[in-house]
Amino acid sequence: MTNYQQRAPEAMIYQICLRGQLDQTWAEWFAGLEIVALTNGDTLLVGLIADQAALYGLIKKIRDLGMPLISLMPLNSTTSSFNPHEQV
Amino acid sequence: MPISILATKLHLPQPRPNGVARPHLIARLEAAQHCGLQLISAPAGFGKSSLLSEWQASTQQQVAWLALDEGDNDPSRFFSYLVHAIQTIVPSIGGAALSLIQAQPQAIEQALISLINEISGRSESISLVLDDYHVIENHALDQALSFLLEHLPAGLRLLIATREDPNLPLARLRARGQLHELRSADLRFSLAEAQQFLNNAMQLDLSGAEVAALEARTEGWIAGLQLAGLSMQHQPDRQSFIASFTGSHHFVMDYLLEEVLQHQPPAIQQFLLHSSILNRMCGSLCDALLPSNEQTGQSTLEYLEQANMFIVALDHERGWYRYHHLFGELLRQRLQRSLAQQTTTSLEALHIRASTWFEHNELEIEAFEHAAAANAIERAERLIEGKRVPLQFQGALLPIMHWLQALPTSVFNQYPSLWVTAASVWLATGQVNGIEQRLQAAEQALTRHEQSPKFQDLIGRIAAIRGTLALSQNDAGQIIAQSERALAHLALDNLSFRTSTVWKLGYAYQLQGQRGAAKHAYEQAISIGQRSGNLVTVLLASIGLGNLHESDNRLKLATTTYQQVLNACSNLGLPAANCGAELGLARIYYQANQLDLAEQYYQRALQSAQLLQHTDREVACQVVKARLLIAQGQFEQASLLLEQAQIAAQQHRHTTQHAKIAAEQIRIHLLRGQIQAAQQLAQSHNLAIGQAQVLLAQQQPSAALAVLKPALEQAQANGWHDQQLWLSLIQCLGLAALGEQGQALQILTKILITAESEGFVRIFLDHGSAMQTLLASINPQSAQAAYRDALLAQFASEHPKQLYPAAPSLLDLLSQREREVLHLIAQGYSNQAICQQLHLALDTVKGHNRRIFEKLQVQRRTEAVARARELGLLSQ
Repeated sequence: MTNYQQRAPEAMIYQICLRGQLDQTWAEWFAGLEIVALTNGDTLLVGLIADQAALYGLIKKIRDLGMPLISLMPLNSTTSSFNPHEQV
Repeated sequence: MPISILATKLHLPQPRPNGVARPHLIARLEAAQHCGLQLISAPAGFGKSSLLSEWQASTQQQVAWLALDEGDNDPSRFFSYLVHAIQTIVPSIGGAALSLIQAQPQAIEQALISLINEISGRSESISLVLDDYHVIENHALDQALSFLLEHLPAGLRLLIATREDPNLPLARLRARGQLHELRSADLRFSLAEAQQFLNNAMQLDLSGAEVAALEARTEGWIAGLQLAGLSMQHQPDRQSFIASFTGSHHFVMDYLLEEVLQHQPPAIQQFLLHSSILNRMCGSLCDALLPSNEQTGQSTLEYLEQANMFIVALDHERGWYRYHHLFGELLRQRLQRSLAQQTTTSLEALHIRASTWFEHNELEIEAFEHAAAANAIERAERLIEGKRVPLQFQGALLPIMHWLQALPTSVFNQYPSLWVTAASVWLATGQVNGIEQRLQAAEQALTRHEQSPKFQDLIGRIAAIRGTLALSQNDAGQIIAQSERALAHLALDNLSFRTSTVWKLGYAYQLQGQRGAAKHAYEQAISIGQRSGNLVTVLLASIGLGNLHESDNRLKLATTTYQQVLNACSNLGLPAANCGAELGLARIYYQANQLDLAEQYYQRALQSAQLLQHTDREVACQVVKARLLIAQGQFEQASLLLEQAQIAAQQHRHTTQHAKIAAEQIRIHLLRGQIQAAQQLAQSHNLAIGQAQVLLAQQQPSAALAVLKPALEQAQANGWHDQQLWLSLIQCLGLAALGEQGQALQILTKILITAESEGFVRIFLDHGSAMQTLLASINPQSAQAAYRDALLAQFASEHPKQLYPAAPSLLDLLSQREREVLHLIAQGYSNQAICQQLHLALDTVKGHNRRIFEKLQVQRRTEAVARARELGLLSQ
């Protein structure tokens, strides 16, 4: 068993951009996602999100804070060609 | 089981006394009155609820309010609240819809139809606000609401406030001009409104430039402006505050909340943070949550309200409050952070305190929800049981389901009752799969626990749930076995499980034809149900009793029973009970040959039946309708209807209906002279009555009587009075066909006594002309002559029917003279005596004999007589 296989098959890294800055104290509220302050005053939330349900749950949390959502993007990392286990 | 209703969810929120009036938006809401749906869709903090509360206080329209929460994703709970909200304006409507949804939680569309019809018939005009609709995730509810919007009665319109556009046919409504929308661009504070708010409402006295800076920084976001205003109330240096706030990129609420909190005394800070775990709060609850607070909960709440601290009153008495959702969300995030930095209090401890307070105040569902949030398993498990009725039957289906879904198997095994609760919850949502596995897991877990009264009760519940599973399969043996086991183990005071179990037992006995036992069980269910207030079971058991009265040929008693049920149902609208009673009355009026009344009750029963999915009621209605059609001579239509009924019964495995459908099909075949088809059906369904009828039609009365004899003995031994009546009546026909007129009339006379006192008519008419002939031969001087005449009059007034051809071809074959000779042979006359009697020559008589033997295909005089009897020639 390798590490990547232990992840849920649907798990994906997402990058979510919000209008306004949040400090690190919000990391726990957002299920451990990394919080990155951008120089233009926006915030990036980055991290592994287990599945679509978790993604929607997160969007709902953002909605309930009234924070404007600017973008949401999946990042291809689990299929990186540098990972020897991924060779088919 | 009635859902517990919290009045605070239906409270019309009052506008803040010093809020900013928004006349242009109110005017838009008023101007769009003709729209069936007004959508107020904007993110948190845009003043949606505030606007609607300002509107409701000023409008001439009658406004009902429903504040939704996550638990309302349970359709029956959502619908119950919806009806209760409407009842705040028109208390008398929705009762039927409400009991329908309680009895059939999945039948939301049918309940809506009932509600729509009721509103259509009223003059009131109701504006229903659904606040916080974004919490609704259950697509079934979106569909139900779409259905409501498609069929919106003139007296109802909806206003939906939500953070996200609902899954409703908005484009279609927009195109038809039936939708009016207010969105974030409409709701943002304009510069003038910001100015009015900050300087008038908050009394800050800011310059135009300062207001403009704040308005720009918050982009007119009302919650942001309000928090900014609050922050500044305690700022000695407003200028520098505005400068640093507008210069910061920080998320507005996060930045400002910090400011606001820091300017509150520590006790208020703690109050705000700790009470943020509550969905609603009152003074005494806050005192319980913050023991150091020294009973200042109520005054603190009033202070917060006065200070404009995002707090909303939920009633007129200043009893219950909640935080503005956005503010509460931010406070909870802060609470989590602050609790992580100390060790004196934990989130779990706070939830336990809340749970304890709710429990003492008999708010069981909220007590459970906080116990679940604290993950206090033992406490939550105990609270689910409820004081009188388990919480899953009171509207807490979803919170319980969510909590159970998150628990590991080891916890279930430690608390076997949770397995049983899970089975019961999933059964309540109609998901039959996986229930048996949960019950087995419960039993497995119970083996590792010592015996106690509670575990005995659990064993009883497991059996009761299995009984319900067997009920959906109509598996009488299994229902009885499980129900008896349940009754042996259930706690004596567990009346909710006991009542329904005893009813199930009655139903199973009835399926098996054990009518005495069924009657006993039904009577018991009625008695326990009346004591425990379980009206639904009382009515279902009464229907069962009515069926049994019908089976006992006690049509009058059955009529009274059904009518009582209908009276009790009139403001309940329980379709299962309605259908049972209406169908029973349709059958009884059919039997009395009052076909118009029968048709009316059939129509009503069919309407009720269509509300009951997954039952055989619709098929049962079709059988009654087929009888009506046959009586009216519409064989083709009856036949088509029975075919449909048969397909439905096969598809849905309504096995108890197969024989009833076949019995009517056999009658149609016989009426059409299709004896072969009738025979096949009677054989494949093992129907004694059908086979006897076929044999009569084939002119084999001895064989018919042979079939009837054991069936009659069986019916007699089991006390199946209805069967006995039917079988004896056919027996009469058989005996008459055999020439045993005396015996036939003796039995018929007895039948007439019962028939007259209970009003049986069609049982005679449905046998057609053979029965007419037999009745006609009853002595006009006998005690039953009056009823005989009444029946004959009914025969005369309907189209003649013939099920059993009385050998007309053979009868025609024999000449008048040959028949005279045959009669004399049968009376034992010798050829010589016949000669003398008929004044004929011996050769002539012998010639007649030869022709008779030929035509009857026999060799001897004795054979001729036997065959003639068989063919009914001697009784003519």
